[in-house]
Amino acid sequence: MEPMTFPASLDSLSPLRKYVGDAAEGTGLSKEATYKLQLIVDEIATNIISYGYGDSGLSGDIIIAGEVLDNKLRITLEDTGREFDLSKKELPSEDDLEKPLEEREIGGLGIFLTMRDVDNFNYKRIGDRNYNIFEMYIKEHDVPSNK
Amino acid sequence: MQITIKPEGDIGIATITGEIDSRTAPQAQGELMPVIEKFNKIIMDMTEVTFLSSAGLRILLLIYRQATAKDGRVVLVGLSEEIKDTMTMTGFLKFFVVAESLENGLKALA
Repeated sequence: MEPMTFPASLDSLSPLRKYVGDAAEGTGLSKEATYKLQLIVDEIATNIISYGYGDSGLSGDIIIAGEVLDNKLRITLEDTGREFDLSKKELPSEDDLEKPLEEREIGGLGIFLTMRDVDNFNYKRIGDRNYNIFEMYIKEHDVPSNK
Repeated sequence: MQITIKPEGDIGIATITGEIDSRTAPQAQGELMPVIEKFNKIIMDMTEVTFLSSAGLRILLLIYRQATAKDGRVVLVGLSEEIKDTMTMTGFLKFFVVAESLENGLKALA
């Protein structure tokens, strides 16, 4: 699908999710996997908008691209915000997720959900650009056995 | 996202439609928290909620804490499979009473 550019604003979250839905259409990606990919893109775009740009006082765009490669759908988010490799972020542990809600810290759940749901994740920083790349396998039996 | 609130006896019913993400979460919080203050028994009818991100989980957490602090009860009605999955994976679901229909939700609070 043709890449699209959205301003780095929370108003762009819904259109970004719609782009993912459109990119998944006709590929055979299951309804569940499509929803997960939309959740992932929402969570990471929120992160880019709020921290990559917002906290740094930067403004800019998010470019989203979707492509079908063999048996998977790849979504790439490209931005010029602060460098942020979410795969290096500390995630809530199993113990944290068992805790009563009274004792919970809410941070990190979005990234936790992303890392749990995505089949492949890759982050690259090239020049002043961040690339967050997410892949979902289109057919259940193509998912590697370790997932 | 839209929220409508109506009382049913001593129960406050909040019906939410649409998507709860980081953009709509502040509005959801602003409209839902007063319901918790006013009623001890709350039903959140989420049958028409099509998307819930971690920003939505944060609101559920706030509602749960507020309700627990005043010995209130919250029932979530009509969660989609996707939202149930998100809540299960983050260890949220087991803390809430869940009902398939509004009728069953009302029974759970009777």
